[in-house]
Amino acid sequence: MTRDSRKPLGLDDVFIVDCDVHANEPPEALAPYIDMPWRRSLELLGRGPQRYLDIPGYAPILNLDPPFPDRGLGNRTVTTARQMRDDLDELSIDVGILFPDNLLKIAVFPHVDYAAALGRAYNAWLADAWVSREEGLYGAVLAVPQDPKDAAEQIRTYGADDRFVAVYLPVAGLRPLWGDRMYDPIYEAAEEMGLPVMLHSVGIIHPHFPFNLEHVESRIVRHPINHEFALMANLFTMLTSGVPVRYPDLEIVFTEGGVSWVPFCMWRMDKEYAEIPTGAPFLERPPSEYIKEMYFCTQPIEEPERSRDLLTMIDLFDGRDKVIFASDWPHHDFDHPRTVLNMPFDAELKRNIMGETARRLFKLPVPVPVA
Amino acid sequence: MPRIRVGPVDEIQPGQPVFVTHGEIEIAVFRVDDGFRAYRNRCPHQQGPVCTGPVSGTLVATADTDWRLAWVLEGRVLICPWHSMEFDLDTGRRIRAQSERLRAYPVDVDDGDVYIQIGSRAVSSPRRRLA
Repeated sequence: MTRDSRKPLGLDDVFIVDCDVHANEPPEALAPYIDMPWRRSLELLGRGPQRYLDIPGYAPILNLDPPFPDRGLGNRTVTTARQMRDDLDELSIDVGILFPDNLLKIAVFPHVDYAAALGRAYNAWLADAWVSREEGLYGAVLAVPQDPKDAAEQIRTYGADDRFVAVYLPVAGLRPLWGDRMYDPIYEAAEEMGLPVMLHSVGIIHPHFPFNLEHVESRIVRHPINHEFALMANLFTMLTSGVPVRYPDLEIVFTEGGVSWVPFCMWRMDKEYAEIPTGAPFLERPPSEYIKEMYFCTQPIEEPERSRDLLTMIDLFDGRDKVIFASDWPHHDFDHPRTVLNMPFDAELKRNIMGETARRLFKLPVPVPVA
Repeated sequence: MPRIRVGPVDEIQPGQPVFVTHGEIEIAVFRVDDGFRAYRNRCPHQQGPVCTGPVSGTLVATADTDWRLAWVLEGRVLICPWHSMEFDLDTGRRIRAQSERLRAYPVDVDDGDVYIQIGSRAVSSPRRRLA
């Protein structure tokens, strides 16, 4: 039976790939997957008090805020693959790409061996207990920035497993930024394995730019700086060190920043490039042309007063085949897929944003229509 | 216009709404200072189950508070559990964005029981200042 083309698309009419969902990994869950002495460390951490994504030595966020009355109920976690599948079914989402919860802050750790061991343990835990083609749950290999050589090995190991479809590049607390050439082994491995790299930030306070926000009172200020500003800074450095030129087959994805900052980056960098071309000697074309080849996840989707402005914004960066849906489930600022599906896009664009573009990008199996 | 019995007056306590369903529509009835309010359990933002959220207060700083922070409307602010949007239980309007509001239904009390009317137009509600 074919769908009545006059009716607006419903959630069940489209194949939905959610490019950002979060698997909760308490320290005790990773303990069996990590070597000594870190196994004992995680066991100890697992026995201690644990606040939501705020565990010193494991999820270092430097939370300086007092608890606020009756807020924070959005602190949901998903602790098993079964629960995630059930939640995504409830949201009419067919496929989810998994990111961590606590280890969103892994770039903060100064102890290189500990960070690398955590990354290996997370990837092994994900492979063992979460990723499943049958369940539509796919992994992003965690690339620990403190140890790019080890991260590259992880990418080659798990990149050979068809349940892993991307590489997760942590952004929060990162130093240096992702344009630094010390990360070349990570890009080389990701390109070799055909895995897109996905930059994803999180809200923290940290001495590293642009997270040095200890003096900022309001979360409303910290949140976009933690996310969009951090993504912008990383994008700029990746352009100027020529990541998209030196790794031409590498797909680059920006997660949890929405889309409205992208035109600014294009035009601002083109302006700089015109005036200071020596600042980006690797580039063979204006920066905007490379940005147009990158991918941008929807969440947190902008909700302008005139919703058609969002389409205008996407067209400004030729993004109709570059914007991909993400919910950020189960985090406090998640977007229900209905919110994006109900935007004033035509049916083809809706199908592309909700799943078809991501299906091609991550080389996911073609869904079999339900009889 | 269907009239639905919600329950005895005494069973609807502050901060503890009573839910009734009419077809696919879920409605919560809250007790407020001067009586009861009934709202559809669907947030105008992303259609979250707004009426299942906590009832609290909110933080303001206005000329009336001499630009000092003040905790106001305690027991009158419904917070959506999805994205923490705040609604004034008395008016159904979103706090600080009063053009958005919850779908409201008329409520009446008859012989000790609370009733709501379904199928009516949204109840008009006054805009209010926060402090």
